[in-house]
Amino acid sequence: MWLDGEGAGFVKPILRAVGLAKVYENGDVKTPALQGVDLEVAPGEFTAVAGPSGSGKSTLLHLLGCLDRPTSGETWLGQQRTDQLDDFARARLRLHEIGFVFQAYNLIPVLTALENAAFVLELRGVPKKVRHEKAMAALEALGIADLAHRRPNQLSGGQQQRVAVARTLAAEPRVVLADEPTANLDSKTGLALIELMKRLNAERGMTFLFSTHDPRLLEHVNRIVRLEDGRVVADERVGAA
Amino acid sequence: MWALAWRNVWRHKTRSLVAAGAVAAVVLFTLVFFGFVTATTNGMFELLTSESGHLQVIGARAREVQDFDARLIRDAQQVEAALLRELPAVRLRRVLEVPALISGETRARGALIVGVAQDEVLAQRFAQEHVAAGRLPSPGSWDEIALGAALARALQVELGDPVYVFAPGTEGWGAAAYTLVGLLAFPQTAYEIQAAYLSLEGAQELAAPSAVSRLEVHLVPERGVVTDAVIEDAKARAAAALGPAVRVETWREASPDTAAMLDLMDPAMAVFSLLIFVLAGLLVVNTIYLGLVERIREFGVIIAVGADRWRVMRMVLAESLVLVAAGTAVGLLTGGLLLVSWADGFRMPGLDEVLAEAGLPAVLYPAVTPAQVAVTVGFAVATALMAALWPAWVAGRLEPVEAMRHVA
Repeated sequence: MWLDGEGAGFVKPILRAVGLAKVYENGDVKTPALQGVDLEVAPGEFTAVAGPSGSGKSTLLHLLGCLDRPTSGETWLGQQRTDQLDDFARARLRLHEIGFVFQAYNLIPVLTALENAAFVLELRGVPKKVRHEKAMAALEALGIADLAHRRPNQLSGGQQQRVAVARTLAAEPRVVLADEPTANLDSKTGLALIELMKRLNAERGMTFLFSTHDPRLLEHVNRIVRLEDGRVVADERVGAA
Repeated sequence: MWALAWRNVWRHKTRSLVAAGAVAAVVLFTLVFFGFVTATTNGMFELLTSESGHLQVIGARAREVQDFDARLIRDAQQVEAALLRELPAVRLRRVLEVPALISGETRARGALIVGVAQDEVLAQRFAQEHVAAGRLPSPGSWDEIALGAALARALQVELGDPVYVFAPGTEGWGAAAYTLVGLLAFPQTAYEIQAAYLSLEGAQELAAPSAVSRLEVHLVPERGVVTDAVIEDAKARAAAALGPAVRVETWREASPDTAAMLDLMDPAMAVFSLLIFVLAGLLVVNTIYLGLVERIREFGVIIAVGADRWRVMRMVLAESLVLVAAGTAVGLLTGGLLLVSWADGFRMPGLDEVLAEAGLPAVLYPAVTPAQVAVTVGFAVATALMAALWPAWVAGRLEPVEAMRHVA
């Protein structure tokens, strides 16, 4: 827990991992991906999980994002322990509380940018008019409103990733988990995306936790959690603007 | 969800077109065959009832006894009068059937003498359908006879020749000589070679004065067609009016085998259709499942962003329904247009005699009932749902992380 800005009380973490371990089994072969990770992320933090390939970054995000179940340990979202929830409750949490940005954009190719941005809202059952208004606002915020009616195959990689961010932004989740969001982008576009997420973090107070192994991006975060071989080896607070 | 399903279905146009086309073909086939089943059923019903009436009034013990005398309705005029009081708008054919020996100048054989007196409309229809040469015996004539053409050939008699009939042991003259005035053609050769027609009065004088074997009642519909409900109602009224001395039967009771066959046609067609829908369903399964396999990663993302398993299953079911609905719509449209194009009748060239021999009308009027359309659409919907069950189950069990790593 952290002292809040006023120093008047403790801030409860929005994401928490306690003794988190994950072992992948393939027949007799067991591959430990995470080995006893403890982590707390406060609301409004802009945190990077860094480490080389195979260090467990993606696994950590998947477990915290209720996409996978740990072999042992606990995951929490706010005051709710999530590793013991059934599939439907976890799906509800993902739908209403957590936003995802993936390395490969993962847009639905038959939907336009606007429809992709509105997709999570559609899953929530938001009326078409309302969800399109919110999705268009998200696209405008990301500077791609003029591409609203294009399909993913008519967009560049950077534009597709912006649509993926717009999908998350329109849904207004409490936490955004981004798994190597810049990995498929050139460095200029990648930096622009990080700036964008940083702006959303600052303006809207959205909590961001993203994984990366690109050291240039780490200059823009205010906390870096370093993983190696499934263990947290460093947890640094840095003074990014 | 439906818009997404529609777009997903057409991602692989060729494959989806083949599957939707198969569904369309099956729907078209089913609709057209239902149309022909209805046409055949209606045609056979019309043929049967125009020959023997919607109702028949027979002797009370006619079904139990074989004896000629015991099967007769002796007070025929009283029965007829009572019947017409209850059902004044019907057309009647009075029939007296007498087993007899018939001969020409040189040959003789067993025959069924049929004395007939009938409503003018019925007489015209009978003459139009069956008189091959000459004419029917005049009403009330005692010395004119018309023979089945095959019977005339067997007896080696021609129009104008004398014909002799022997009906020993009956209450009439028992024997008489007639002049051959007409040759009759019937679809069933077995009947044509034994049928000899007299006027009712001539037959009564020969074998059973004032009696008939049966009264055939032809109902005249106020509008549309004569339904089973109308026939049953008329039967109940006639039976109540005529009492226990006679027996009133519907055409179904008089011809139970034919009625059973007609009743079986729709269910048999439905079973047949179901089988071909199953075959089309296999193509739909293939299309939906391949669509799923190619998009496992996408389904992983959809689950990752919050769709629960039921939602994913519904999405797969929706794709199947959309695909089948497209095929069904095309099938219904083309089938409907075909049926409309046959509204004035469908005739298979060169098959008139074959159809007639089988008791089928030469011209068919294909039409479908709302129930048949509903059954066709129901089969299509069931096909869509059944075809999607397995792919939907597979999609619903996807783990998002594994699915997103999937490479098609």
